[in-house]
Amino acid sequence: MQPIIELRNVVKVYSSPAGDYEALHGINLEIYPGEFFGILGKSGAGKSTLLNMITGVDRLTSGEVIVRARGREVSVHTLGENALALWRGRTIGVVYQSFQLLPMLNLLQNVMLPMDLCGDYHPRRSRERALELLRRVELEEHAFKPPAFISGGQQQRVAIARALANDPPILVADEPTGSLDSVTADHIFDFFEELVAEGKTIVMVTHDHGLMPRFDRYVRIVDGQLAEDPVEEVAV
Amino acid sequence: MRPRWQKVLSDIWDNKVRTLLVVLSIAVGVLAIGVIAGAYVIISHDMSVSYAAKNPANIEIRMDDFDEDFLNTLRDFDGVADVEGRRVFGMRARRVGDTAWKVLDIVAFKDFKANTINLLEPVRGVPAPEKGQIVLEKTVLEEISIAVGDELEVELPDGTTRRLEVVGVVLDSSTSAADFLAAPLAYITLDTAPSLGQPELYNRLYATLSEGQDDDAHIRAVFADLKDTIEKSGYDVGLTRRSKTHEHPLASIVNAVLGILMALGVLIVFLSSSLIANTLSALLQQHMRHIGVIKLIGGRNRQVFLMYLSLIFAFGVMALLIAVPLGGQGAYALAQFIADQMSFSLLGYRIVPISFVIQIAIGMLVPLVAGFVPVVRGTRVTVLQAISGDALRLQAGGPTRWERFQLRVTQALARRGIHVPRPLLISLRNTFRRRGRLALTLFTLTMGGAIFISVFNVRVTLNEYVRQVGNYFLADVTLDFERPYRLDEIRQYAMRLDGVTWVEGWAYASAEILYPDGTVADNINILAPPANSGLVSPLMISGRWITPQDRQKLVISEGIFDYYPDLKVGDTLPLKINAREEAWEVVGIFKFIGVEGILGYAPYEYIAAEQNLARRSYSYRLVAERHDRAYQKQLADRAAQAFRDWGFHVREAVPGLSTLDDASESLDILVTFLLIMALLTAVVGAMGLAGTMSMNVLERTREIGVMRAIGATDSAVMRMVITEGTLIGVISWGLAVVLSVPITYLLATIVSLAVFNTPITIVFTPLGYIIWIGLVLLLSAVSSVLPARNAARLTIREVLAYE
Repeated sequence: MQPIIELRNVVKVYSSPAGDYEALHGINLEIYPGEFFGILGKSGAGKSTLLNMITGVDRLTSGEVIVRARGREVSVHTLGENALALWRGRTIGVVYQSFQLLPMLNLLQNVMLPMDLCGDYHPRRSRERALELLRRVELEEHAFKPPAFISGGQQQRVAIARALANDPPILVADEPTGSLDSVTADHIFDFFEELVAEGKTIVMVTHDHGLMPRFDRYVRIVDGQLAEDPVEEVAV
Repeated sequence: MRPRWQKVLSDIWDNKVRTLLVVLSIAVGVLAIGVIAGAYVIISHDMSVSYAAKNPANIEIRMDDFDEDFLNTLRDFDGVADVEGRRVFGMRARRVGDTAWKVLDIVAFKDFKANTINLLEPVRGVPAPEKGQIVLEKTVLEEISIAVGDELEVELPDGTTRRLEVVGVVLDSSTSAADFLAAPLAYITLDTAPSLGQPELYNRLYATLSEGQDDDAHIRAVFADLKDTIEKSGYDVGLTRRSKTHEHPLASIVNAVLGILMALGVLIVFLSSSLIANTLSALLQQHMRHIGVIKLIGGRNRQVFLMYLSLIFAFGVMALLIAVPLGGQGAYALAQFIADQMSFSLLGYRIVPISFVIQIAIGMLVPLVAGFVPVVRGTRVTVLQAISGDALRLQAGGPTRWERFQLRVTQALARRGIHVPRPLLISLRNTFRRRGRLALTLFTLTMGGAIFISVFNVRVTLNEYVRQVGNYFLADVTLDFERPYRLDEIRQYAMRLDGVTWVEGWAYASAEILYPDGTVADNINILAPPANSGLVSPLMISGRWITPQDRQKLVISEGIFDYYPDLKVGDTLPLKINAREEAWEVVGIFKFIGVEGILGYAPYEYIAAEQNLARRSYSYRLVAERHDRAYQKQLADRAAQAFRDWGFHVREAVPGLSTLDDASESLDILVTFLLIMALLTAVVGAMGLAGTMSMNVLERTREIGVMRAIGATDSAVMRMVITEGTLIGVISWGLAVVLSVPITYLLATIVSLAVFNTPITIVFTPLGYIIWIGLVLLLSAVSSVLPARNAARLTIREVLAYE
């Protein structure tokens, strides 16, 4: 089976007045369709940078990121800004620790927004789909509330619903449970596992080693490099 | 509604203060342009149409008394369509029961129904008085509080009074149209004149031409022939005027003034656009994270760009909804005000399509142009920069030059034992943190301040020039008689009046300046004071003043350059005087108000002899021991009364400064307009500062929270913000002081060329500078207090949670 995400010798160097800083030192990694894949590491190890290389949010210095999804093989960093945005909107759903919902839109509108921007759904269909997604994350009754009126855990569920709006094959999550209590975090994980069971590929970054058993596979990243035992299978 | 448009709508609605700021910024500029453009169109059209509709005289000749028979001989004059005779004489009048007298010019018509030239427009009551009745021109009502049905008391030359019933009010837009300094008019029938001590004869001739009514050369030619004929018939001709039918005599001045206002309006638009750019730039900064999220979930640059462009478009539409109706009303109100001042009527309220189009274009284009750069910059930000909020930090690098300079200065002061308070240092650093925004704010506030200060300088400059022009009218009272009296006799009587210290008899002559080919260039009024008179203190440009020995020599006002641009002292000028062509030597050239026509001075000794009035005069100048307005007025009243009592035929006694008061009043109207525009620019500047301060505070919400968490009190936070605002105000004042110099020169030169036809000496006054520093400090404090209070009110938890 071909990997859905493939990183080939990815290097990322940040330049600053204090000098150059290499955040990623030639990362090679393959992630397969339907995997719940974990990237573990301490703060500053380079795990979020690695995630940004996959989503194309940040530009790599050298190397290549290949994503094979929706019947296309795309070298992410060869895409222009606009093409990248459209590709990301359709292919990868992104979830952040800080939810990143737009405060002026209600929950329904937040979920509808990616469909509006990518234009894959008719406006009426996008509304129905957004309501379905909110129902799925058990927030349909709050659909018309602004994000500030619901709890952090609920906001994260809305963020996941939004990430799924265009039905992307890949979901990328950067510390999605970092600001949630353990019970709420557990619910989020349960939901991710449901999605994986439905065939989605999920790549998740966390510093919490206690979560290792819940991943299908994981890598540890230390100082911008994958650890000696790069990929570990987890017996579920 | 699609979510992205819902976001645009929410951006408008959720931050109402910001929306209001942007909308008002746009609306101020649109309103200013709308009012001025609308007024310009209405005035330039209605002024000439309204003026032409009254069939204004192309030629006005003030001359010796003449009768209907002589008038009839001129009816078939070549080139003349129609002639009318009127008697015009000055009289003091008041409402019965009032104490203060006002000088009116009474115009006597033979038959109001036969009036075809300088038509009167009825305002109220009846437009045609019967014998013993009087009709007032509208401007009289500004001088005398009187209504139709009241009685007007007029004073006869012998000091007795007569009462006339006021039966109507009319608008006369042509009779005194060209005369800044004319007295208000009132109208009677010619058969009422004898009861006022006046003969039933005309002393003014009005003529319209059969063709070429708008051809200055043709009017001049017919006028020269007509004047020649009148003089050959044995009549002396005094002051004369020529006018085009379809051009109000003051149109060029009004248009020039409106042009200046338009330039200021454009400047306001320019300033408001920098305010819009500033606010939109801050808005984009605040929305950085939103843009990042949109791009993260599939939004492309074009979509983001369109969203923010729509936002700006919506701001423009809202501004237009406010400014266009107000602009239409304001334009008409301004036009009406000018029409009232100039005594002509407008053709009715209407929407001016071109003004409407200009307003829409400005309301739509200016925000789009001003917002284009911030929007493009905002939409180009990468997702990473936007999400992490690092857009600025990533670009900024290390400490700026200003920060390094500030550090060095602080360290140097500390080494000398001077410790700058830390909050002040923070205020200083904050002021210069957003240099682009600071520059735009300073630019707006500085321009507003510089114009504000300049308007005060222009006002003083104009008044100083009028005061200098007053050097030609230094007498305290001008006493005119119906017939000439001997100098010795008048001097002897006048010196018996309390307070009179000096008396002079002046002569007067009217002439035409000829071109070398013998055609008439213009009229010239030659005043003839005694050569050694101390009552004229001319502003000489070149040459010398008159001497008693001068024969056919004159000093002339610089208006002559319009016809003889290369004229020099020592050149001769062809004049037609007393129906004779003579060559006069120009011995001096002086400054004078251009629109008042060309003025010359020659010695009394020569002119009086030529007019067979040696040692006699119609007109006397009295000098008193006091020169204030109240005393002059009182002396004029006393002199008129006393000379009447002594049996002299007094025509009128006019206090010396009253003429200047009228001129100053006209200038004050102009200065008021300029000041309104200056205040508008100041308002735009203040809005800019308020916007900047609230943006600065909003962006530093987290920083303020941290400061409060580590012990900064509410008052310390407020002090910091207010210090920052005040500092911007003070810097802008300093820059405005510098910038006000060229702006004063520019504005004063444009205004003086428009009003006086000559550049004038610029005078600076500290008043504008003092008022502006006070105003700018007040504006700065007020603009900072609200954001500062908001900052101080936030709880630590709120500000640290701010995203």
